[in-house]
Amino acid sequence: MTVSALTRPGERDRLTVKLAEIDWLFCFVLCLIAGTGALMMFSIAGSSWQPWAANHLIKFSIFFALMVCLAMVDMRVWFAAAYPIYGLGLFLLVAVALIGEVHLGARRWLNLGPLGSFQPSEIMKLGLVLALGRFYHSISAQGARLSWWLLVPAAMIGVPVVLIAHQPDLGTAILLSLTGLSVVVLAGLAWRIIVIGVLMVVAAVPPMVLFVLHDYQRDRILTFLSPEKDPSGSGYHILQSKIALGSGGFLGKGYGLGSQSQLNFLPEKQTDFIFATLAEEFGFVGCLSVLVLYGAVIFLALQAASRTHSHFGRLSAAGVTATFTFYVLINGAMVMGLAPVVGVPMPLLSYGGTVMLSVMIGFGLVQSSRVHRYSEVTSGKGALL
Amino acid sequence: MSEPSIFFSEVNQRQGVFHRRAFLFGGLAGIGMAALGGRLAYLQLLEASRYEKLSVSNQFNFRLTPPPRGVIVDRNGVVLATNRPNFRLMIARDDSARPYETLKSLAQFVPLNDARQTRLVRELKQAPRGTPIPVLDDLSWEQFSSINIRAPELPGVTADMGEVRVYPHGGAFAHVIGYVAKVNKDDLAPTGPNSEQIMLHPGFRIGRQGVEKAFDLDLRGRPGAQKVEVDARGREVRQLPGGDIPATAGREIKLTLDADIQTRAMEVFGEESGAAVMMDCRSGDILCMYSAPSFDANKFVRGLTSPEYRALSQYDRKPLFNKAITATYPPGSTFKTMVALAALSAGIDPAQTRVCNGAWAWGGRIWHCDKHHGVMDMHSAIVTSCDIYFYQTALAIGPDKIAEAARSFGLGQIFDIGIPGQKAGLVPDPAYKRRTFKRDPVWHPGETPSMGIGQGYTNVNALQLCVMVARLANGDKALHPRLIESIGGVQQPSGAIAEELPFPKAHIAFVRSAMASVTETGTAAATAQLGLGSLKMAGKTGTAQSHTYREGERTSRSLAWALKDHAWFVAFAPYDDPRYAISVLVEHGGFGATAAAPRAREIMRVALLKDPQLRSRIEQPTPMPDIPDQPADGAAPEDPTPITQPPSSSTNPGAAL
Repeated sequence: MTVSALTRPGERDRLTVKLAEIDWLFCFVLCLIAGTGALMMFSIAGSSWQPWAANHLIKFSIFFALMVCLAMVDMRVWFAAAYPIYGLGLFLLVAVALIGEVHLGARRWLNLGPLGSFQPSEIMKLGLVLALGRFYHSISAQGARLSWWLLVPAAMIGVPVVLIAHQPDLGTAILLSLTGLSVVVLAGLAWRIIVIGVLMVVAAVPPMVLFVLHDYQRDRILTFLSPEKDPSGSGYHILQSKIALGSGGFLGKGYGLGSQSQLNFLPEKQTDFIFATLAEEFGFVGCLSVLVLYGAVIFLALQAASRTHSHFGRLSAAGVTATFTFYVLINGAMVMGLAPVVGVPMPLLSYGGTVMLSVMIGFGLVQSSRVHRYSEVTSGKGALL
Repeated sequence: MSEPSIFFSEVNQRQGVFHRRAFLFGGLAGIGMAALGGRLAYLQLLEASRYEKLSVSNQFNFRLTPPPRGVIVDRNGVVLATNRPNFRLMIARDDSARPYETLKSLAQFVPLNDARQTRLVRELKQAPRGTPIPVLDDLSWEQFSSINIRAPELPGVTADMGEVRVYPHGGAFAHVIGYVAKVNKDDLAPTGPNSEQIMLHPGFRIGRQGVEKAFDLDLRGRPGAQKVEVDARGREVRQLPGGDIPATAGREIKLTLDADIQTRAMEVFGEESGAAVMMDCRSGDILCMYSAPSFDANKFVRGLTSPEYRALSQYDRKPLFNKAITATYPPGSTFKTMVALAALSAGIDPAQTRVCNGAWAWGGRIWHCDKHHGVMDMHSAIVTSCDIYFYQTALAIGPDKIAEAARSFGLGQIFDIGIPGQKAGLVPDPAYKRRTFKRDPVWHPGETPSMGIGQGYTNVNALQLCVMVARLANGDKALHPRLIESIGGVQQPSGAIAEELPFPKAHIAFVRSAMASVTETGTAAATAQLGLGSLKMAGKTGTAQSHTYREGERTSRSLAWALKDHAWFVAFAPYDDPRYAISVLVEHGGFGATAAAPRAREIMRVALLKDPQLRSRIEQPTPMPDIPDQPADGAAPEDPTPITQPPSSSTNPGAAL
């Protein structure tokens, strides 16, 4: 394809052109990660496609198709849908606080009858990014840097975070606030506010831990600080995960030979701790390879975001990338014993449909911003709202 | 927003800020990833060996395997206690499993009634997690294999092959050897050998009585370990035969007992209550130690039901009681040998005679004898067991001399034979009375005649009387009884390493000759004939009162069992070359000559017939005729030399026996 061809009016709206504009290298890396996940699930199920590996691959295929479809969606549609999605997420969070299902002591799930139950916080991950993008799209650089307007994004982040933290779902609340704050920072928040904010957070953590958190949340953090104190109780997860990782060594114990995961010493081995399974069976080499793949995803997504002309596209795509990045970093740190155990999975590698769905929808947005990088979301006649 | 409220420079500025910040974000994300990579390198490269060890200790467990318990054999190597394979079924608590359902499905393959199931569920709840409890023993091979095949459907259930203790002779050795039983809480002392882990194994048994108890640590052996791969729940995934540490079997214990003699003792007692002890009177080895009635030790291994236990413990003949060492009785007239010896060493002339009129008035009482013996010297008084003679002789020499003789022959003593439960009994003397009776610390003269006939305070057990006869028969050494010949091949000190008896040999020979006359012409002449040719047994009867009779009660034939006299017979044989000494007690058996002596005779016959040297004396074979030398190397033999047949066996007195 030539540049000249794409400059022709209407040429960029053709489906084949749009499909070609998708970052297929990015897609390939996603497939590699999901495939690795399925490989590990096959191993820990005792060389069986059931119950996880096949399911994982099927879900990934569906969501991959969904991502491609969403990549075709015009940025103006995303722009128009930003506030409604955020509003819907907020509504559902309030609804879950009122009528949600209590499961394992947390009110996180909304029962959708035959469709099963889902967590509205997943919608909010996308909604928040979109809404912040749309908001920052309409204010000036100075406004984004330091102005009273910033109270709006503060509220946009604060309200859902408080609702989710109240469920309680500390992991998602932290993830959501980190995502939102990333967008705020990327939009150009003044450095002194950033510095003050960081200092305040650091100062606020100890009293938070002591007074606000639930007992089990506090235990997790205290356990993280000294897992050896209670190796069979609350320190069990961290300790077993570290044993799995460390015993993997340089090349790993071999595929299907990880004693920690095969013999169930490793808890949540197919979900939150799948990285430890990988580390045990494929060792340092395997882990580093997967980390490189994740790095590539983040790099390519950020690249797509940076090349987008619309401020909304840039910010929302970067926000989605930030969510993904935090997933990887938090899960990695947790598995390696650098962070307390919070229920954050390794995206695409871990088994579990909800997170994969929200991540793939987010990547749909990223690819959409890449495909539609030249479109201007607020040019008069093209505006949907 | 159709108005261009944001100017171009504004747009550029926003873009520039975003690019810088996105670059920064990417950099921070990169640093984060690098940190993870660094952490990985630390864990997987630097600390790998440490976590490798932790992982292995997670993965593998050593499961203790109980060692085979040491075998107990008799002096000839006949097995008295051994182990046999046992297919058993065990169930362990497992949090994923519901034991009741598991037991229900288990009941399809093995007999398990509802009551047993309920009891097992209760036991399971009390058992520590992961510790299996036994469900059934002695499965058939069909049951064993059907359970093993269905193991995946039966969580927590294991069927394995263990060993169970078995006593091939049933009750014959029950009191000496004892039995093994399950470990109970009291056994699990917090320290010492009984705190070993293996004791928690469901197949482990601990010695409860006799040799099994006394030598439990020797018999126990050292447990082995089986390397097994376990999952996080501690369930066994598979066994790794390469990593096994074999168990060391317990030591073999060889007893001095002889299974044939012991079995014969059991036979001759039948349902009578009593005890028989036989010793080799040259070495001190105990050849027989039987207490009647006995019980089947195998039932104790399996575990007695409470009705079974009640039946044993409440039976008035006390089968659980080792009457050979634990019960003491007045020795009765068997004690007269000691009185005679004491009298001889006190200088009393054995030819001095006393007159027996069947009764003797002394000290305000009438002292009875069982008949009118007439004029008695010491020899005839022993032979006829004349009480009057010994009343008077005892009075003449005093209790201290008698006690001294009795003690030097082992009465009133506890011997180190290895097994617990001996009662010392009592040889009384004035010092004992001073020590024991604070209100009446005086030895009354009237107590001496009683002592002279082995009544009164005098109390001995069957082992002591056997030692007494063995020492008399030996005539030289104060033999010690020995029950344990060797432990794990290590010989135990012989009982013949002993001091000299502090009595002149002539005196002992006098008593022995009197004992020989007892079985020839005396009280036991009718019942103590061995019938083994020239082999003769020398002995002494004893009939000990078990209580004080009312007037005329003793002659009553319809006396209740528990009121009858205890019958004693002590003997040694052959008289001319003593080898075996025996004491037989028949509790409430009546007369020593009729109840105890025939039993002693039968037991003695087995010992004599088994003795290869004596057997030759019994059989008196004709010397072998000389056979000419065979021609040298390989030359065909000439006509076979006619071998003179030995005389037909009917001329051989021993063969008919």
